[in-house]
Amino acid sequence: MIEKVLPEKNLVVRHSAIELIEHWALAISGLVLLLTGIFELPVGKRYYIINIPGLGWSADFITSMYLHYAAAFVFTVVGIFHLFYHGLRGEKGLVPQKGDIGVSITVIKSLFGLGKEPPLPKYLPEQRLAYAGMAFIIAMLIVSGLVKTYKNIYAPDLSLTIVLAATWIHNIFFVLFFLAFLGHMAAIVLRPNRPMVRGIFTGRVRLDYARHRHSLWLDEIEEIHAESTAFPDEPPRAEVTGEITTAISPAVPASPAVLLTPEEQPLVSDKKIKDIVSPSVQEGDKPPQTKQ
Amino acid sequence: MKKITIKEKNFNKVSRRSFLKIGIGAAAIAGAGVPRKAFAGSGEQLSTLIDLSLCDGCVDRKIPACVEVCKAINKDKIPPVSANIPEPWPRKTIEDWSREKEVFQRLTPYNFIYVQKVDVVTDGQQKTFFIPRRCMHCDNPPCATICPFSANHKDRNGAVVIDQDLCFGGAKCRDVCPWEIPQRQSGVGIYLHVLPSFMGNGVMYKCDLCIDRLKAGKLPGCIEVCPRGAMLIGPRRKIEDIADVRSRAMKGYIYGKKENGGTATLYVSPISFELINQSMKKKPGQPDMPPDVVRRMANTDPLGKAVLAAPVLGFAAAGVAGAFHWISRRRDQKKLREENDD
Repeated sequence: MIEKVLPEKNLVVRHSAIELIEHWALAISGLVLLLTGIFELPVGKRYYIINIPGLGWSADFITSMYLHYAAAFVFTVVGIFHLFYHGLRGEKGLVPQKGDIGVSITVIKSLFGLGKEPPLPKYLPEQRLAYAGMAFIIAMLIVSGLVKTYKNIYAPDLSLTIVLAATWIHNIFFVLFFLAFLGHMAAIVLRPNRPMVRGIFTGRVRLDYARHRHSLWLDEIEEIHAESTAFPDEPPRAEVTGEITTAISPAVPASPAVLLTPEEQPLVSDKKIKDIVSPSVQEGDKPPQTKQ
Repeated sequence: MKKITIKEKNFNKVSRRSFLKIGIGAAAIAGAGVPRKAFAGSGEQLSTLIDLSLCDGCVDRKIPACVEVCKAINKDKIPPVSANIPEPWPRKTIEDWSREKEVFQRLTPYNFIYVQKVDVVTDGQQKTFFIPRRCMHCDNPPCATICPFSANHKDRNGAVVIDQDLCFGGAKCRDVCPWEIPQRQSGVGIYLHVLPSFMGNGVMYKCDLCIDRLKAGKLPGCIEVCPRGAMLIGPRRKIEDIADVRSRAMKGYIYGKKENGGTATLYVSPISFELINQSMKKKPGQPDMPPDVVRRMANTDPLGKAVLAAPVLGFAAAGVAGAFHWISRRRDQKKLREENDD
C-alpha cells in the first residue's frame, strides 16, 4: 500500500485507490444485496412497499433475484479479490492482533471520556476486530449464497440437509450483516472517529488527526523515512511526486523508501515529518481530543 | 355416493390395466411395468401422466374419486386452527378455510386436487373435458428454490413438498407459481410462535404427490383410486414414452413437458391446450393452463452462473493485479538502481 504524507496539505494518504474501490464496491453491492434480500421475503405487498414510488418491483421476486445476483457477482468477485490480493501481498494490518480486545475496551471507554486513549497504529484495535467479524459474516454469506445459487440453477433436489443449512446460514448472517452495517454506521457517528470518514471517500486523512490519534502509524512512517534515507538504493516503489512518499504495509513494514525531488530533498531530509506543520491547519480542524 | 377405499396395489397391475383400457401397443404395456421397489425411496425421478381422453370427472359421483381420496388421506394434515387468528399488520389479509373444509371444486388448503370441467368447442362441436388439477411438481420449481426458509423442497423423486413445520405462509410460492397452486391457511404454523402480527401468515398447502405413500411403496391416492385409470405414475423416462405413444395414437397434445421449464406431470389430450386454455376462466384456486408458460427464473440463470464463477474471477483478478504490481515494482527498482549506479 502506498502511504504518503502531504505536509503542505496537512494530509496523509491512508488508502490506495484499489482499497477505495474495494470498499465502495463491497458497500454498494452489499447494500443492494441487503435490500433485494429483504425483498426476497414476502414484504413488498404486505407492507405496501410496492406503493412507494420507484419500488413497485419490490414484490416481484424474480426482479429482485436479478438484482440480487448482479450485486452478488460484484460482492463475491471483490470479496475474493480482497482476500487474495492483500493476502498475497502480506498486508495484515486489519487482521486482529493479540491484545486487541483489551486495547479496544480502553479506546471505547476513552470515547466516552473514561480514561485516555493510548497511542494507536493505523487501524484501531476495535477496527481490526470489527473487520474480522465482518469478514467472517461476508464469507459465510458468500459460501451459503453460492450453495443456494447452485441449487437454484442446477440442483433443486439438492440434499435437504445442505439446502436447509445454506438457507439458515444465509438468513442468520443476513441479519448479522445488517447489524454489522448499523454498527459500522454507528462508529462514524462517534466524533473522534469522524475524521476517518474523509479517508474512505478521498483516501486521505488529516495529518494533525493522524499524528494525534494514530501516532504509532506516523512513527512507523517516520521510521521508514529515516531508514530509507540510509538505504536509498532499495526503494520498494518509485513514485516521485514531490511529496514525502513511502511505501509500507500496515503491519509488515516494507523496504524503506523516501523519494524526493532534488529541490525538496534537503528541505525535508533535515526535518522530521512531525515537525512540519501546515499553516492551513486551523483550530477548528483539529480533532476533538487534540490539546495543544 | 360411493365410498372410496384405498387398497395397496401392485404398480404392474395398475399400469397394465390402464394401458389395456386404451388399447395401445404391447411395447408400451411392457414399458409400463414398474416394480414397487422403484418407488420405495430409491430416489428415482418419477413422473405422472393424466390422460384427458380417459378422465370423465367421475360424473356419477358427488365428488370425483381422486378428490375424495385425497381429502381422506390429508384430512388430519392441518392441525387445529387458532381460534383467534392473529390479524396481520399492516395488510390485514387472512385466509381461513377451516370452516369450508368440504369445498372440492377448487384448490384450498384442505383440497389439493380438483377436477376442472371445461367445455371446448372444436370443429363446430362442443366437447366436455375433465381435467384433474393439482401441483405439477416442476423440474425446477420456483416455489421451492426461492422459498426464503427452504420450507418447500423438491425431493429426488421429483415430488415438491412443503414442510408445514417450517412454512411461514408468506405465499411467495403461490406468487411465483405460474398456476398459483399453493393455498394458504392462516392461524396455523410456526409463525404463531414468532411474530404473528408482523411476519408470516399461516402455512401453504398443496399436493405432495403422497410422498409418504410413495416411500412406503404405495401409489399416490388419486392414482390408486381412479376408476378410469386416467392417471399413471412411473419412472420419468417411461412416463414420457407413454405420453408420446398416447399422444401420437390420439393425434393429440402433451402439456407439462416444457411448461415452466418442464414438470413431472404430463397431461395428454386429444385437443390442443390452446383451445382448453381459451375455454378456461382463471379464478382463485382454479388455475388456467397457458401453453408454453415460461420459467421466469430461467432468465436469471446466466447471472446466477456468473455468480458461481465469481470466486474464480476474483482470484484471477487478484493474481493479475498482484503480478502487475510485482512487475511494476521490480521495474521501478531496477530503474532506480541504474540511476544510482550512474
